[in-house]
Amino acid sequence: MFSISTEAKVGLFVLVALIILGYMSFRVGEYGFGLKKGYIIKAAFENVTGLDKDASILVAGVEVGRVESIALKDGMAVVSMRILPDVKLERDVRVSIKSYGILGDKYIEIEPGTRGVSSLGEGEEITRVEKQADIDKILRDLGTIAQDVMAVTASLKKVIGGEEGVENLSAIVRNTRELSDNLNKVVKQNDEKFSVMVDSLKNAAMQMDKTFSALSDITERINEGEGTIGRLVNDREVFDNLDRTVASLQDITDKINKGEGTIGKLVNDEETVENLNASLKSLDRSMEGIDRYISKAEQFRTFLSYRGEYLFDTSDAKSYVDIKIQPKQDKFYILGVVADPRGKRTVTETTTGGTTTRKEKWERDELLFNLMIGKRYKDIVLRGGILESTGGVGIDYFAFDDTLKFTFEAFDFDADRDPHLKIYGEYRLFKHVYLMAGWDDFISDERNSSPFAGIAIRFEDDDLKYLLTSSPIPTK
Amino acid sequence: MIELIDIHKSFGSQKVLDGLNLTIEDGRTTVIIGKSGGGKSVLLKHMIGLLRPDSGRVIVDGVDITRLGDKELNEVRKKFGMLFQEAALFDSMNVEENVAFPLREHTKKKDSEIREIVRERLSAVGLPGVEKKMPSELSGGMRKRVGLARALAMQPRIILFDEPTTGLDPVMTEAINELIIRTQKNFDVTCVVISHDVGSIFKIGHTIAMLYEGKIVEYGAPEEIRKSENPVMHQFLAGSLEGPISIM
Amino acid sequence: MNRISIALDNFGRAVLSNVEEMGKILLLFVSTLVWMVRPPLKVRLIFKQMEFVGVKSIYVVVLTGTFTGMVLALQSYYGFRMFSAESLVGSTVALSMTRELGPVLTALMVTARAGSAMAAELGTMRVTEQIDALYVMAANPVKHLIVPRIVASVFMLPILTIVSDFMGIMGGYFVGVTILNINEGSFVRNITRYVDLDDLYNGLIKAAVFGLILSLVGCYKGFNTSGGAEGVGRATTEAVVLSSITILISDYFLTAIMF
Repeated sequence: MFSISTEAKVGLFVLVALIILGYMSFRVGEYGFGLKKGYIIKAAFENVTGLDKDASILVAGVEVGRVESIALKDGMAVVSMRILPDVKLERDVRVSIKSYGILGDKYIEIEPGTRGVSSLGEGEEITRVEKQADIDKILRDLGTIAQDVMAVTASLKKVIGGEEGVENLSAIVRNTRELSDNLNKVVKQNDEKFSVMVDSLKNAAMQMDKTFSALSDITERINEGEGTIGRLVNDREVFDNLDRTVASLQDITDKINKGEGTIGKLVNDEETVENLNASLKSLDRSMEGIDRYISKAEQFRTFLSYRGEYLFDTSDAKSYVDIKIQPKQDKFYILGVVADPRGKRTVTETTTGGTTTRKEKWERDELLFNLMIGKRYKDIVLRGGILESTGGVGIDYFAFDDTLKFTFEAFDFDADRDPHLKIYGEYRLFKHVYLMAGWDDFISDERNSSPFAGIAIRFEDDDLKYLLTSSPIPTK
Repeated sequence: MIELIDIHKSFGSQKVLDGLNLTIEDGRTTVIIGKSGGGKSVLLKHMIGLLRPDSGRVIVDGVDITRLGDKELNEVRKKFGMLFQEAALFDSMNVEENVAFPLREHTKKKDSEIREIVRERLSAVGLPGVEKKMPSELSGGMRKRVGLARALAMQPRIILFDEPTTGLDPVMTEAINELIIRTQKNFDVTCVVISHDVGSIFKIGHTIAMLYEGKIVEYGAPEEIRKSENPVMHQFLAGSLEGPISIM
Repeated sequence: MNRISIALDNFGRAVLSNVEEMGKILLLFVSTLVWMVRPPLKVRLIFKQMEFVGVKSIYVVVLTGTFTGMVLALQSYYGFRMFSAESLVGSTVALSMTRELGPVLTALMVTARAGSAMAAELGTMRVTEQIDALYVMAANPVKHLIVPRIVASVFMLPILTIVSDFMGIMGGYFVGVTILNINEGSFVRNITRYVDLDDLYNGLIKAAVFGLILSLVGCYKGFNTSGGAEGVGRATTEAVVLSSITILISDYFLTAIMF
């Protein structure tokens, strides 16, 4: 009769449930925010009413992070945002609070900055914070504007009210037209001179850029310093002025950029741009090549580990020495030896005429071998191959940023007896040092079952890695 | 040797044992008789520490087991085997696992050795080859014999029988009696048997004790008991309705 | 006057006996903990119980989970439709399942199935002297009978709850997306947006606590059975009632602590 053992049923059920759990955790914590990945950036808002911890952070509608915490500092709400590690935000992004959904949930929107500007790093602050639209204030401002417009139209009416005014006006228009005609002629005649002018303008702009970055360095330093200068610089008004200045500079360059006129054409000369582009691209390609090479060597990692386990019930100690070769982030090979004082047991049963004789042979102090290939999917590692010199498979589940690991191994499959099953948890005590406890051979029908506790030392070995990648070993 | 000295035990307001004194001698079969519900099982449970007396002492091989902690008591219990009224086989295990239970629990023997011992014990009680049956598939008499095999598994020095023949037909009763006699002789153990089957007691008992109203009222060899003038004993043996034993 | 004093008497006695029972259950729990760390652990017995509590409860848990999720989706749909927020049905179902209904319903179903069986089984063993037999063979019944049941329940309840959560969400998805035509994308997106890993894990912690409660109560009631077949029946009923009440009450406190 075909029947599945109790252990197998339970094991299968637990496995299926854990896979479902893994799937659900993966979907729910899709960006891994629950696992505290990514880096933190900050922004100070005047008012964050309705913004909650874990609110979304969107760039162009794509979620790139969550609000980590909100704190009050100097009357401003400082929002810490956790951003996905592979999302780079330029130093000049704009940040604002918006709301979506009918329940009016608040989220933070980040408008991308200028390409090529350096990225924000861990703990840095976004300086360009947009005020939340305040309906009252907008209405008040609109009122003032309306009054101004009224005053202007009133005086205009005075100036051009009479016939004399109309005549004057038409004269002005005429003069303006003549002036622009002349200007046009001058410009046409002096095309070359203009191009020189534009070049020097460009130079000047570049110089200015350098100056500004230098300035920004200085200001950062001043910003940090709390001295007399620091206080002076931290005056909000000065900053606002500066901000405005920069903004108008930006406006000017924008106009030049868009201008299709003579100046514009010169700046936007397509051939030049293409040439420039082509050379940049080839540079890019060669950089990529170098990058790939370097990253391959970077990715390739090797680990050495020693593990000792003490089995309580059988009062034995087992030792493992493993080399783990990890050519890619999610793939590895394990080579290792195991010293098991119990050795390997082989049982032979022979039946002759109704009497069964059982022979047990112990090969004591034999070295056993591990040879496994493994692959990691998120928090789950599947591996298989030769385990303690028999065919076997293992599954590891990592939790809490890899500080905790649960392992289940099954090997020594034999028709005559239960497979050797082993389950244990491993906890990272410090860097390189791990503690573990579990149950070895827990369904043994040979009374080998025993709880155990152990310690492991695991470290990365660079020399080995260079040996294996056949790159020259770096010398001093 | 088991000595029970001045044992008092009540359940609520009901006095079951009232200053009972009894000595069980080594290497012999002592039969305790008395009316149904008269506290015989309670008495037996005191000997093995399943119940603790309200006052009095139970001394097994010189140790007062009423004062022992769990661990020491377990050591004393390993000297005992007990056959319960309904055999008390574990429903969830088959016969082999039932008999092997104490061996698995207290010895480090290999599976193959245990299997061998189980086979031996089962044939000793006349039930070879029932290893893979479940208790529910067995008749009452077979259950009791498996229970005895389990009690014998650890080679105890003292075996307690709680009404071993109750509810069995005469032939099976005879078989069990024979088994008790044989076991006592072959394993040279001390047996304590609770019974109210008059036919059985004279066959198996070296000593017979009569429990009546919480005390031992008669104690002696079968010949002496047969000749006893005690009205309680007399009525019990005769199976008469008239006498001091009330039939409420 | 007399009547009042009798009423007070009865009330006081009821309180006392309840407190006494709580104390005894707690003592049983403590001795379970002691026997749990005293090797050797009965791995085979634990696996047997895991099969009984876990594997054999799959059908009932799948059924309750699925239909709960379906009815939740249906009910919340009519509510949310008033604000044209139908897409929130998914997150409502998912949050209710993971935080509350998954653990609680699973625990109640397992109580009815396995908790009662524990009480009946141990009760039968008590009245047929099988527990005495364990004592006589110098084997501790707590270790052989109670530890495996409690360990198995504490371990299997979260596992069953995972299944229940998942089936509930699937049921909600089926009703919401297939029958009520809620946009699939926003349905799923709202689930991932509003449900946190914490919701999932806290629900599983709850389930483990419920597993402890139902097995502890079931074992206690069974272990202390007296009075033959009738006593076994009484113990079973009491175990189910007491476990269910304790699960629901402790659910409130667990929720208050966790969320």
